[in-house]
Amino acid sequence: MDTPMGQPGMAEAQQIRVNFTTSSPDIQLPEGKSQLLVPSDIKRYGLSRVLNSESMLDTPSPIPFDFLINGTFLRTTLDEYLKANGLSFETTVTLQYVRSLIPPVYQASFEHDDWISDIDVLSATSRAGLWSGDKLATGQDRILSASYDGLLRVWNSSGNVLATSPAGSHSASVKTAKFLSSSQVASAGLDRTVRVWKYTESEDRLSAALKPTLELYGHKASVDAIDVHGPTGRILSASADGCIGLWTTSKSNAPAAPPSLLPGAGASASKKRKIASATTPTSQRGALSLMPVHGTSPATAVCFDPHDSTVAYSASQDHTVRTLDLTTARVEHAINTLHPLLALTTLPSAASSGGSSVLLAAGTAARHITLIDPRVSAATTSVMTLRGHRNMVTCLAPSPDSAHALVSGSADGTCRIWDLRSVRAGTKAEGGGGVCESVYVVERESQKAAGVRKEKSDVPGRGAKVFGVAWDRTWGIVSGGEDRMVQVNRGRDLLAAT
Amino acid sequence: MAPTKSSLKRKASIVEAAAAAAEDHAQSDDEFGDGLLEGLLEDDSDDESDADFDDDAEAGSGDSSAEDDDLESDDIPTDGEDLEKKLTNGFGNAEEDDGPNYRIETDANGGTRYIYDEIDPAVYDTDDSDAQEPVNTIGNIPLSFYDSYPHIGYDINGKKIMRPATGEALDALLESIEVPEGWTGLTDPETGKALNLSREQLELLKRVQMNELPEEDYDPYPDTVEWFTSMEETMPLSAAPEPKRRFLPSKHEAKRVMKLVKAIREGRILPYKPPEEREREREEEEEIHYDLWAEETPRPPNVMHIPAPKPAPPGYDESYNPPPEYLPTKAERQAWEDADPEEREKEYLPQSHGSLRRTPAYDRLIYERFSRSLDLYLAPRVRKMRLHIDPASLLPKLPRPEELRPFPSIASVEYLGHDGRVRSVSIDPSGQWLASGGDDGTVRVWGLTDGKQQWQVKLSSEDPVDVVRWRPGHEATILSAAVGEDIFFMIPSIENPEVEQASRDVLDAGFGYAANAKQQTTAAGARKDGPAKWSRPGGRLEDEGVLLKATVRSSIKTIHWHRRGDFFTTVSPSGQRSAVAIHTLSKHQTQIPFRKLPGIPQAAAFSPSKPLLFVALQRSIRVYDLQRQELVKTVQPGCRWISSFDIHPAGDNLVVGSYDRRLLWHDLEMSPKPYKTMRFHEQAIRSVKFHRSYPIWADSSDDGTIQIYHGKVVNDLMEAPQIVPLKTLSGHKVKQRLGVTDIDWHPKNPWIVSAGADGSIRLWT
Repeated sequence: MDTPMGQPGMAEAQQIRVNFTTSSPDIQLPEGKSQLLVPSDIKRYGLSRVLNSESMLDTPSPIPFDFLINGTFLRTTLDEYLKANGLSFETTVTLQYVRSLIPPVYQASFEHDDWISDIDVLSATSRAGLWSGDKLATGQDRILSASYDGLLRVWNSSGNVLATSPAGSHSASVKTAKFLSSSQVASAGLDRTVRVWKYTESEDRLSAALKPTLELYGHKASVDAIDVHGPTGRILSASADGCIGLWTTSKSNAPAAPPSLLPGAGASASKKRKIASATTPTSQRGALSLMPVHGTSPATAVCFDPHDSTVAYSASQDHTVRTLDLTTARVEHAINTLHPLLALTTLPSAASSGGSSVLLAAGTAARHITLIDPRVSAATTSVMTLRGHRNMVTCLAPSPDSAHALVSGSADGTCRIWDLRSVRAGTKAEGGGGVCESVYVVERESQKAAGVRKEKSDVPGRGAKVFGVAWDRTWGIVSGGEDRMVQVNRGRDLLAAT
Repeated sequence: MAPTKSSLKRKASIVEAAAAAAEDHAQSDDEFGDGLLEGLLEDDSDDESDADFDDDAEAGSGDSSAEDDDLESDDIPTDGEDLEKKLTNGFGNAEEDDGPNYRIETDANGGTRYIYDEIDPAVYDTDDSDAQEPVNTIGNIPLSFYDSYPHIGYDINGKKIMRPATGEALDALLESIEVPEGWTGLTDPETGKALNLSREQLELLKRVQMNELPEEDYDPYPDTVEWFTSMEETMPLSAAPEPKRRFLPSKHEAKRVMKLVKAIREGRILPYKPPEEREREREEEEEIHYDLWAEETPRPPNVMHIPAPKPAPPGYDESYNPPPEYLPTKAERQAWEDADPEEREKEYLPQSHGSLRRTPAYDRLIYERFSRSLDLYLAPRVRKMRLHIDPASLLPKLPRPEELRPFPSIASVEYLGHDGRVRSVSIDPSGQWLASGGDDGTVRVWGLTDGKQQWQVKLSSEDPVDVVRWRPGHEATILSAAVGEDIFFMIPSIENPEVEQASRDVLDAGFGYAANAKQQTTAAGARKDGPAKWSRPGGRLEDEGVLLKATVRSSIKTIHWHRRGDFFTTVSPSGQRSAVAIHTLSKHQTQIPFRKLPGIPQAAAFSPSKPLLFVALQRSIRVYDLQRQELVKTVQPGCRWISSFDIHPAGDNLVVGSYDRRLLWHDLEMSPKPYKTMRFHEQAIRSVKFHRSYPIWADSSDDGTIQIYHGKVVNDLMEAPQIVPLKTLSGHKVKQRLGVTDIDWHPKNPWIVSAGADGSIRLWT
């Protein structure tokens, strides 16, 4: 280092001039106090105490802080950081302080009869809640769970089932379900249909009903994922037949259903299903458009562009992510990755830049999550790789608070929370690029209780595969999977805000 | 006897005494005969080196003894006198000179006349003792020539040497008894008289004979008389005054010098050589030396040269005054001394001498020099021609498995539900569904990625489901399963109505045809009972989606569908003649292509690209052309019992797994022998499968592992297929010595599904 060795101050800790900044206005430092001399061997805890001291923020109760230098978290002493980055001790270090993170502690779990395939939440802060606007009653925090037994369930925050879809509506497992609004639910599953339900709650909010309003036919194989856009009432579905379907919830706008695909169309379809379908005289409609964009490879995920409802992204096991123009029903752009993709979500990463660009996170069967820049002009499509899962990544959900965070559920029985800001350079074996490692790992509470985890299994996440995850500001992180439990974990303040 | 001889002259007295002594000697030996005495003498004379003398002596003795003449009494004394004079020349002369050597006679005139004795020349002429008097001059002729004469020869003066008188025989006897002094028994050939030797002569002979000095008091080693050596002469030898010439310059020399001076002045002699001549001489001298190595340049040593290794430089402990920490303690010293010299770490003990001047000579110097030389000599520094081959370079250059991604590496999904062993797995052509069949008689269909069982049918309560296979093709979803002798065809209720209807149509298409065909066969009257019976399986199963059943004669172990989905072949190893059957789904027809096979068939498969049928027998695989209906090729993998095989999607390569743990890759174009034989498993190999699109393949074994290989086949005929073992997937438990019973690849993704005897199915991604 460029400090002379004979300096008398060498014996005690060296002083480093730091400049505290923050982007949170509520914990702004008073004017003129942001510059400070701190000993170089100070770590996060010490800095946090300095900030909480009377002369600085003078907080009534200490707020744990984390510190960012140049966008990365300070995990060592200042001294080591400077040495590692080859910085002079005489420079002023700018420390951005953010509220420290609290682990996603387990809060509750709701038990099911069968595996849970998907989770969606309804709350004032959720997407559907925002779409429904005034219609959402205060405190109407609901969880929608889709289960392999073919039923949809709506839960309230105290863990009671408010409504269950009538048996026999979905003739096979429901693979995915979403709130369109506080009164409308869409679901799809192995029976190749997308169904729209009317969700009504009683006055006392203690019971509710799910009434099928629409059966949408058109897919020839199981529908594995849907995405909804409340304001326009559009539903996107991704099916194992490789098609992306665009549907509408309005009966009048939807075209008629293809008769060959209706149940009972086959001359000798089983009686059981005939009866089941006969009991529900719901209107049957077809797709606005069915886009066979993925050939014969199953499309595994689809999502609307958060800024533009006429643009969608679809992922498939054929390793591609495709940008779809929904108005023309054509593929705008195809991005090739190296692995089969199983999940997709959009990250409004460009919120800071104010543009309309979007970052896609795609969960792969090769146990990692790839961040993809879907823009045609993007130089590198694969921006970053999130590594850490030990099995296929089955579901993804963006953080409601931060554009830099997301949660992923995997077949290894964990949910992982990622902060895209803690990046390291990938090794050659990892294929280079930026590699991010998870900040938190949410284990399955059921596995912990059963002690199954104790015995080492060579199949990661046996019996505890996570199939659905949602992250909401109100609810926190809600996940469900093979262990038949909807698990709610605290989701606030997990990550440093910027 | 001595008084009788006392009258003899004094001169002869000594001779007489010698003779008396000889007589004494003879007397003492008188009892002995002559011969005996001669022998004794001979014995004596044998000691002498001179043999001639011996002969002469014998001859002489013979003469003297046989014909002994009378000796002239006058002569005898003279002879003896002469002899005596000769022998004792020293002390007899003085007495002889005493008497007058003349006689006084009166001459004719009356005057006195001194008549001197005749001068004895022997006294005066010569001291030569060899010249004896009288010398017979007859030469070297036998003395017997003179036998008839009174003389025996002539002396030097021409006078006759008269024969000595021979005595009477009695005299001879007496003589032989009374041996005179000095008697030798020899006759002097010169004089013809008996040769008698005096005591001195005998003594002399004896001395000569004894190799002693002849003269008794001769001192051969006298003290050195040191003249002019050690003793310093104080006085000059001569008292003569210095001669004058010592002071005067020599005129002769002056003359010679003047001569030289004159010559020099005249230039005839040059006192020194002229400079140019000296120069030339010096040059000549210099030219003589040839520097052979003048132009030699230092060359690098020979390639084979190895310099002697340098001995280690001395350390501190070899100093004459090492630091104290190097000095051995008493215990160390003791240990060093106790140790065997060969086992000592160091050959010396560090010693402190305080100062250099107290340092003694190093006692081990010679020994160390010698042992170093010996080391260098006994360990010759020879460059050995070694092959420096990196062992790694001998291994085939295989790419690293990481570079050959993707391939399955971990277990992703486990499908639990089967009760008992899972015997067979199959992934449907779309890649979404997994079918499995096991010992519990059920066929189950699972969602591939989520692991959820979606469909199940129990086909049999007794027999296990031996094999499940999806029919290829996307237009219909038909699952075939073999249970015992039955093949069931089912349509799992996982498909949409369109596909389901299409599948039903496919299955039902043959019914009408079969009915017609049956009529035809009955009309022909060939046989009543076909090789297989196609029928509906019955109400319960039909409700569950099992729509068709074909029953053959013996239990089926493998099903292999043709890629078009109309034909499939089954193998029932116990089926004897009808072991291999080819079925046509669209006609519900079963054909037995081989009436006779040279072994028990194990598996059969259609080529994925050519109209070929591969039939694996126990030890060979036979390839039949379906169009021409003939045997095309026989592949000999060289294993004992083939368990399974699979054909590369390109159709030219074949991989064979065997129960004797061998895995064999065949290039059908190349040779009927395996291109590569691999043994990676500890137990029997149950199943081998190629991926349909990725260059990977896998095998499963009873040791509970699945081995993934990279197997790239290039179209280029020159390039051999590249086979790289990639990954061993282990996780299945071995139950009753059965491990992984079946594997199947995902049609698109590099995923593999394995069925385990432990009742679990796994998806490896």
